[in-house]
Amino acid sequence: MKYLGKKIITLIMTLFVVSAAAFIAFQIIPGDVVTSILGTEATPEREAQLREELGLNDPPAVRYFRWIGGVLQGDLGVSYRYAKNMNEMMPVAELIGDKLPVTLSLAAISLVLIIVVAIPLGVLWARSRNKVLDAALGVITQVSMAIPSFFLGILVTYLFGMVLKCFAPGNYVSYEKDPGGFLFYLLFPALAIAIPKIAMTARFLRNSMLTELKADYVRTARSKGCSERRVMYGHVLRNAMMPVITFLGMIIAEIVAGSIVVEQVFSLPGIGRLLISSISTRDLPVVEILILYITFVVIFVYFLVDILYRVVDPRISSK
Amino acid sequence: MIAIEDLSVNFGSTEAVRHVSLELRDGEILGVVGESGSGKSVTALTLMGLAAEEATVTSGRILYDDVVLQEAGKPRDKALYRKYQGEWMSMVFQEPMTSLNPTQRVGRQVEEMLRLHGLPLEAAGDGELQRESDTVREVSHTGQSGESADTGRAGKIRQPRKQEKRQRMKQLVLETFASVGLREPERVYQCYPHQLSGGMRQRVMIAMAVILHPRLIVADEPTTALDVTVQSQIMDLLREINEKQHNAMLFITHDLNLARRICHRIAVMKDGRVVESGTPEEIFEHPREAYTRNLIEAVPSRMKRRAAGRSIGREPVVTVRDLSVYYREGNNSLFSRGRKKPAVQDADFTIRWGEILGLVGESGCGKTSLSKAILGMNKEITGEIQHFSSRPQMIFQDPYSSLNPAKTVGWLLEEPLRARGKLDPQQAMTAADIRTAAMDMLEKVGLTEDYFDRRPSQLSGGQRQRISIGQALITRPGLIVADEPVSALDVTIQAQIMELMRRLQEEMQLSYLFISHDIHVIYQMSDRIMVMKDGRIIEIGDTEEVFAHPREEYTRQLLRES
Repeated sequence: MKYLGKKIITLIMTLFVVSAAAFIAFQIIPGDVVTSILGTEATPEREAQLREELGLNDPPAVRYFRWIGGVLQGDLGVSYRYAKNMNEMMPVAELIGDKLPVTLSLAAISLVLIIVVAIPLGVLWARSRNKVLDAALGVITQVSMAIPSFFLGILVTYLFGMVLKCFAPGNYVSYEKDPGGFLFYLLFPALAIAIPKIAMTARFLRNSMLTELKADYVRTARSKGCSERRVMYGHVLRNAMMPVITFLGMIIAEIVAGSIVVEQVFSLPGIGRLLISSISTRDLPVVEILILYITFVVIFVYFLVDILYRVVDPRISSK
Repeated sequence: MIAIEDLSVNFGSTEAVRHVSLELRDGEILGVVGESGSGKSVTALTLMGLAAEEATVTSGRILYDDVVLQEAGKPRDKALYRKYQGEWMSMVFQEPMTSLNPTQRVGRQVEEMLRLHGLPLEAAGDGELQRESDTVREVSHTGQSGESADTGRAGKIRQPRKQEKRQRMKQLVLETFASVGLREPERVYQCYPHQLSGGMRQRVMIAMAVILHPRLIVADEPTTALDVTVQSQIMDLLREINEKQHNAMLFITHDLNLARRICHRIAVMKDGRVVESGTPEEIFEHPREAYTRNLIEAVPSRMKRRAAGRSIGREPVVTVRDLSVYYREGNNSLFSRGRKKPAVQDADFTIRWGEILGLVGESGCGKTSLSKAILGMNKEITGEIQHFSSRPQMIFQDPYSSLNPAKTVGWLLEEPLRARGKLDPQQAMTAADIRTAAMDMLEKVGLTEDYFDRRPSQLSGGQRQRISIGQALITRPGLIVADEPVSALDVTIQAQIMELMRRLQEEMQLSYLFISHDIHVIYQMSDRIMVMKDGRIIEIGDTEEVFAHPREEYTRQLLRES
C-alpha cells in the first residue's frame, strides 16, 4: 500500500512537470494561433478581439495555472479548430472522448493478438531442435519486423479487403451504430499493428527462454522426470517472461497512444489522427491534453508492468 | 544395481569422460572424487540422462538393474529416462539457490514429484512411511523393461478423489520436510527459495530427492556451497537417509576428506579416467597414485603451517576503533531511505605491518561488510578507521567474474596504475613504464610474458586468480584485503595460490586481512585470527593460541565441524 502511494505521487508529479513543459514549449515555438484560426479573414480588430476572448493577453504563468486548474476540475478547455455548431465551441473532452474508444479498442485487440500468438510461438521456437523450423521462424520474424507498418497496412487491406473480401476497406463502421461490425473492422488494422510486434515479442521470448534454459533449476526439473513441455510451460516460461513483460509494456504504451500510420491507412477516427491534425492546425488545447494523455498512459503502463513484475518474480518485492 | 561400463563421453572433439567403469550396489555410497574438469560431474549427469545435448556417448553403456539406459551410438531415449528420473533415481545439486525455481514456492516444487509420478501407496494410505511397502515397489520393478516399470507404477498409485489426493500430497511433503530436519514445515512449504537460507534450500532439495524413496540418489557436490557447520549437518542427513531408506548413493565431491566421512567406496578421477578406487581406508592409507597422494596432501588441514617467528613490524598498517558498519534495507528512493541495519558492530582491532590477520566466520556474519568498510567502499559507518599505508587493495573470491572478460591481461594489470595516475598526477607514469611494471608483475605472480595479450577466458581459474593478485599488488599497497581468495579454486590450485600469497607477502612486506570460511586455510595463512559471528568479533588472538584454547563455544564448534 505504501508502495502504491509512492507510485501515485510520482505519477502526479510527472504529469505536472510534463504539463508545464508542454505549455512552455508551445509558447516558444513560432506561429500565432489567432492568425491560424482566422486565416484570410484576419483583420487587426478581429485578431485583438479573439485574443481577448481566448485570454491570450494574460501573462503565461496566469494562463498556465488557469489551464491546469481547469484540467484538474475536469474542464479540458475548448478546441480552437473544431466547433460543435455555428455558435458552440467544441470541448476538448468531448473531442477526445469520441476518438478514445476507437484507439483503445484497437489497442486491446492488437494486444490480445500479440499475446495469444507470440507466447506459444516463442516457446515453440525456443524448443525447436529442428534446424529448418528454427531458420524458417528466423526469416519470417525478421521480415515481419522489417516491413514498415503503412506497407503492412496496405498489404492487409489488399489481402483481406480486395482479394478475400472479408471487409470493405475505408468503410469504417462506427461503434455507436454497430459494435460488432466495429470490432470486426478493427480486427484488420489490429493485424497490421500486431504482426511486427508478434515477431519482436516471439524473438524476445525465445532469446530469454534460451538463456533461462541454461539455468540450474531447469536441470532440476528434468531430473524429476518432467516432460519437455512441462519444463517449458511449468518452469521456464514464468522466469523467461520478466524481460518480455517490460517489452510488452513498451508496446502497450505505444499502441494506446495511438497508431498514427495504421489509423491513417484504415481511416480510423482515433487518437493518432487527432494528434496529427491538431498539431498541423495549431489546435494547442487539444495537443496539450493529448500530451498529458500519452504521458499518463506511458507512466500508468509502466506502473502496471512494475506490479506485474512483482507478481511474476517474488524476489523483487522482498528486496 | 547400477553398472557403468566402459563409458566415454565427448563434447565435440574433447573427451570429457574416458572409458569409465563404475558399479553401485543397493544401499552403497560410492564417492567419486576429482578436481574440476576430471569428468566426475559429466559422468553423474550422463548417468541421470541430464548431460547437455552436445554430449555424446562414444563408448560403453549404462545399466540400471539390467535395463540399458544409455548405449554408445544410440541417441538418449528421453521417454525411457523419464520413467526413471525422479522416481527410481534422483539428484541433489551443488547450488541450492540456483537449482530451485526462483518463482515457485518450494512446497509446490517438491510436490511436483508426486504430481509427476503419483503418490506412493503407503502415503495414499495413512501417511506413515514404511519400508515394507518399498519392497513391494522393488518387486514390481524387478520385472525389468520400460513397460513393467509402468505397471509397477500403476500398481502403487491409488486414485483418490482430487481434493483428498491434494491433501495427502501436501501431507507427505510436510512429513518429508520434517524428516530432513526442516523446522516449521508449514512455513517452509509456503516460502520461495530466496526466503530460505542456503542450508534450508539444500534440505528442500534433499526432500525433493528422497520423497519417493528412489533406489539411487546422485549427489553432486551437495555441500560445497554451504557453510562448514551446515555442511556437516547435511552430510549427517545424507548418511541418515542412506541408513533409513537404503538408497544407493553416488556422491560426487572434490574433497577427499568429505568422501571419507560417508562413502563405502571411493573412486578417484583425473582427466576423465578413474585412476584409483577402493575403500576409504585403502585410498587414504595406501594411495597407489601420485595424484591421489597429491589430493590428500593438498587438503589444507594436512599442510604445514608457515614457520612461526617471522618478523612482524610493531607499527600498525591500519587501526580500527569502535567500528560499526550499516547497510540499508529496502531500496532508496526519493521518498524514503531504507532502514539502517548494523552489519558489523563495535569492531576494534589493529593490523600491523607485515602481519597476516585471518578473519573467519560463516556467510552473513559481516566479514565482507567489514572488509568493504576498511577499503572505503562503504560510507555508512560510525567509529574510526585509520590507515598508515597507501590505498589498500582487494583480491576477490571469484576470478571468473571479477575480471573484465573484454580486456587483455596486460590491460587489466595496467589499469590500477593508470587510474592512480589520473587520480594523482604526481604519481602518473608513462605508458612504457606502466607496461614494464605490468610485465614485472606477471613474472612475480608466476606467469610468463606471453600471457600479456591473452584474455581472461583463455586462462584457468588459478591463472586468473594470479592476475587478480597482480592487479591488487601493482600499486604496491601496504594492506591487502583478500576476500575468500582461494574458495573458488580446486584444492591443488588452492595450495599453489596460498603459497604464492605467502611468498609475495614476504617479498613485498605486505599485510593481509585474509578472509575465509575455511578454518584450515586460515590456520595455514594467519599470524593472528579473528572470529566473527552475527556482526561481532567474538574472539581474536594468536593463531596457535586460539586453536589450542578457543575461548568461545562458537569457535570450538567451528574447529570441531571442520
